[in-house]
Amino acid sequence: MSSEVIIGTRDLSVYYGEHRGIKDLNLSVQKGEVFGFLGPNGAGKTTTLRAILDIIHPTKGSAALFGLDSRKHGVAIRERISYLPGELSLYPSMKASYFLDFLGSLQKNKRDESYLEQLLERVDLDPSRKMREYSHGNKQKIGVVAAFMGKRELIILDEPTIGLDPLVQRTVLELVLEVKEEGRTVFISSHNLKEVQTVCDRVGIIQNGELIKTEKVDTLINQQLRRLEINFRKEPPHDAFAIEGVKEISREGNLVLFEVSQDLDRLMEKAAPYGIIDLETKSVSLDEIFLAFYSPQKRGGHNV
Amino acid sequence: MFSLLMHEIKSRCTAILGWGFGLILYGAVYILIFPPELFEQFKFLKDLSVYALVGIQLGSFEGYMASIVLVYIPILLSIYCIIASTSTLAGEEDSGTLELIVAMPLSRWQILTAKAVALSVVVLSIMIIASIGNAFVLEAIKINTQINVTPFGLFTALMSSLPLELAFIMIGLFLGTILPNRRLSATALTIFFIASFFGENIAGMVKSLEPIKYFSLFNYYNTTETIFTEGAQVSDVLALAGIAAVFFILALICFSRRNITVGGWPWQQGKITD
Repeated sequence: MSSEVIIGTRDLSVYYGEHRGIKDLNLSVQKGEVFGFLGPNGAGKTTTLRAILDIIHPTKGSAALFGLDSRKHGVAIRERISYLPGELSLYPSMKASYFLDFLGSLQKNKRDESYLEQLLERVDLDPSRKMREYSHGNKQKIGVVAAFMGKRELIILDEPTIGLDPLVQRTVLELVLEVKEEGRTVFISSHNLKEVQTVCDRVGIIQNGELIKTEKVDTLINQQLRRLEINFRKEPPHDAFAIEGVKEISREGNLVLFEVSQDLDRLMEKAAPYGIIDLETKSVSLDEIFLAFYSPQKRGGHNV
Repeated sequence: MFSLLMHEIKSRCTAILGWGFGLILYGAVYILIFPPELFEQFKFLKDLSVYALVGIQLGSFEGYMASIVLVYIPILLSIYCIIASTSTLAGEEDSGTLELIVAMPLSRWQILTAKAVALSVVVLSIMIIASIGNAFVLEAIKINTQINVTPFGLFTALMSSLPLELAFIMIGLFLGTILPNRRLSATALTIFFIASFFGENIAGMVKSLEPIKYFSLFNYYNTTETIFTEGAQVSDVLALAGIAAVFFILALICFSRRNITVGGWPWQQGKITD
């Protein structure tokens, strides 16, 4: 990964009338990096992408891509970018093959036919049909192919795996990793923590239009929420586990369920005096992690 | 830009053929059903206000042709212009496909220009097909009936409505760049179109309302029988071309400032409130 900044925003703000879309967003994405942009629906992910691409003009602040101001040098910037919108709309009466040709000609691509065929094969798509004949998932595949076929320096993907089956989701993530291996940059917006964990180097976490945290993915994984069920030999008192990052969820006699957002050392230390008969780690769904991260009391983004 | 232009034209090939041959059919029906023996009866009706209101003159065959063919073919084509001009920007923004185009390495002016030129070419093509077709129909009936309108005269008279259609297209594009969505743009343009048509005719009937005719686009399009002998007036063509140019420039300015996908009113610009 190089230190060259591919995307940089300075106090980037977008207001819709008096409603805030994003506020004072300061973000930096390095060359060769896969940067994940995490946030729930309505947090401002898509608004940020649109402002970066100058589809929406910032109310305040600025965005620069490849060191060029996005408003002044929009055409030069977009020649080096491909973009997959989150709400992908396609021309219903157009054949997918024509659509890909059309976008390719607008992107001023040198067509790499073999790569295009390879992409179509990998996502298992027959481009000979009209858009209206495709399912939602297949339309998304067309968008994915369009985003990757140009081999651009920067690929911006807004919720790229929505509506795709798990196999194709995996293919998309593989494509992202291949782009990374080639030293190109990917900016991927998602609320799917798992896919972000799989491919991203760093993540930016956005909430209510504000960037609340930028974190390396490893750190984020370490901060993940876990549930731990301990069967004690003797029932511990209710205040026995007043430790930061540990929350008692339920208790049935000697069986206590904890939610832990830190290393287990401290909990084990406190639990040992009561005798541990059995210990089970309960898997926490991504939704639960997500909800925990965005709960109002954790607005600061700590203790995931 | 050329790719976008070609795509815009290609995607309307069916419309070119459909509207072109449809307008031939319309003109042919009215040209062919004109029976000379009924002409005397029409003369009794020529002063009826209702005919004046909708711009029909029945004093002569030339008047009939000017009223029925020269008025209603452009009116029908204007409906296409309203549909096409409001769907190409506002409609694509509503459906989401404009976001893809705007994210391409094209400047906003290139996108708007490609769409405006494409629509102009499409309407020109429809007019050429319709005008040639109607001229042929007229040539066919001339064999049996003595009339003073030549097929070439009908062709040029029909083609003289092109600036009118271009003006409607540019106004439609402009409305698509300032109004929140396609539905509002199409409604506004339809209201203007109806007001423009009836306003011009009413202004011709009521002396005190005469000044309003200058706000009607139809005021600059000659639909009297003189069109066959004198042709379109240069001042009218220039006026319509000027209106089209002004609205094209306004559309360029508004489109370059528009927040695509947001769909707000022009005065709903973002304001920092906290």
